[in-house]
Amino acid sequence: MAAANSLLRTERTRLWQDGIFTAVGWSAGLLGFLLPISIVMFLFYRGAAAITWDLLWQSPRGFPLGSSGGIRPAIEGSLALVVIGLAVSLPLAVGGAIYLTEYSASDRLRRTASFCAECLAGVPAIIYGLFGYSFLVVFWGMRTSLLAGGITLGLVMLPIILIGAYEALRAVDTKYREAALALGVSRLYAFRKNVWSKGRAGIMTAVVLAAGHAFGSAAPVLLTATVVIARSGLDLSSPVMTLPSHLYYLVSEASPLDQAYATALILVALLLTANFSVMLITSRQEGRSIR
Amino acid sequence: MTVFSAGGNLFARSSSARSPFAGWEKSFEETLARLAFLVLLVAGFAGLLLALVMVAREAYPALVAPSGLWGLLVADPWEPLSQPARLGVRHAWLSTLAVTSIALAVAAPLGFGIGIFITEIAPSAIKKMLQPCLELLAGIPSVVYGFFGYVTLVPWFESTFEMATGESLLAAGLILAVMVLPFVASTSAEALSAVPFDVKEAALALGVNRCCMTLRVLVRHAAPGMFAALALGLARALGETLAVLMLAGNSLAVPASLLDRGQPITALIITELGEAGIGSPKQQALFAAALVLMVVIVSVNSVIGWLKRRMLHGRG
Repeated sequence: MAAANSLLRTERTRLWQDGIFTAVGWSAGLLGFLLPISIVMFLFYRGAAAITWDLLWQSPRGFPLGSSGGIRPAIEGSLALVVIGLAVSLPLAVGGAIYLTEYSASDRLRRTASFCAECLAGVPAIIYGLFGYSFLVVFWGMRTSLLAGGITLGLVMLPIILIGAYEALRAVDTKYREAALALGVSRLYAFRKNVWSKGRAGIMTAVVLAAGHAFGSAAPVLLTATVVIARSGLDLSSPVMTLPSHLYYLVSEASPLDQAYATALILVALLLTANFSVMLITSRQEGRSIR
Repeated sequence: MTVFSAGGNLFARSSSARSPFAGWEKSFEETLARLAFLVLLVAGFAGLLLALVMVAREAYPALVAPSGLWGLLVADPWEPLSQPARLGVRHAWLSTLAVTSIALAVAAPLGFGIGIFITEIAPSAIKKMLQPCLELLAGIPSVVYGFFGYVTLVPWFESTFEMATGESLLAAGLILAVMVLPFVASTSAEALSAVPFDVKEAALALGVNRCCMTLRVLVRHAAPGMFAALALGLARALGETLAVLMLAGNSLAVPASLLDRGQPITALIITELGEAGIGSPKQQALFAAALVLMVVIVSVNSVIGWLKRRMLHGRG
């Protein structure tokens, strides 16, 4: 009888335990949902009203600066920086990844390179910003400019794209390479016709991810490329405005927050659109390549 | 298509078949391509290493100065205007330590909880929805987090704790926790789902419930991976700049409590670098502080790499 009772008791505690476990798990999961959604909704709720045609199409005005007018130069500057950064990093990163997966025979090189790339990707962007400041801006005399900022962002993106491209190409089944090579074609031809079309989607995802990261990062560009207001148009040797740095300046100048909300919303919306569209494209391509 | 036409008629094929894939053109093209890709790889790594070396070079004079590393990190206060200038970053790394500890203390239980939820509890439809949500959280830029904290947490702190300004280490730490949460969550989920199924089955066959199985068997098995998740969060939090710059309050005082204002190393660098003369001791001290931060982060990352490899190759 006593044994049966204790068994019953343990059974009950076990049910309790499991119930609590499940409840705690669900609430953690719920938090994972609510946090990002509420942040985005909050920005949308406060910022959507301030987004007008003028905001997207004009330069900042008013006092403190940016309290009226628009943020067009910031959008242009951000895009230009990322484009230059991609021009620097894309060939180096994708080319390097191709060497590692298609040409290198040494497993040790592959392991060392991917380990180093992972470490370098973990180095915070501000360190690359310091390099850009001391080497490009000061030592090479580029001064605070679009070019210096673009190269710095290129360095920030390089290891991220390298890892992404390496993983994407490595995930392509070896049988495609073997089949092509068995026909006697060169490695380059096999890569171009077979491996590339399989690994393309993964590489693109990595590129968009890295570009989004660079687009939103303010620390390196604050040190190398940005000013509070850029009056001239885009020019490689003159400074630019960017969305993240503009948001930072707006907050630190304690200007009215309407413009800041709108800037933050536009920044997040652009990043979300880029990520979402690449997700759509790749999921479509993956769906096709499986069949 | 050309591949097939080249090999299509085996009997017609002679040694001089004009396929673009044979003969000296092939080997020439092959060598050229191999060389070009190798050059790209080497150039990429060379550029990155150059960046790190240049930072170290700028930092070097501050490290060999009479006050040295000890003065920089422990002994001196940050008084660049005194005569002679005293350039210690004690307040900064203490602030970094404070915000990072808060961030990890908050993000670790939540992140592990989400990891367990994803691998053990969530139905697959919800799992599929949660993944993009975490990616979204990881994709929001630092400056937006800083702004978000500035308009939500800071006023809330001011009204709740009746502080003169809500900018504080606690505010920065809490926002930082949200920022590292997705990394901790997804890496620990990865670690938990890498535990072999037979371990799980063996536990369940003993008649224990899911709670016991997860907490006492799964988590123990995935411990190195979950530690790696925490280390990843740490590395992220240490290098985070804009959010802590906007929320920690930028005060040069050595913080005494979590509600004090402070100035993490990254914030110190951004704030002071513009006013530091080129090649001045102040600039060198800032670079030295950055170098110390970088060395810490790279070592944390190496530990992660080592743990990951152990996780992958340790069993099987």
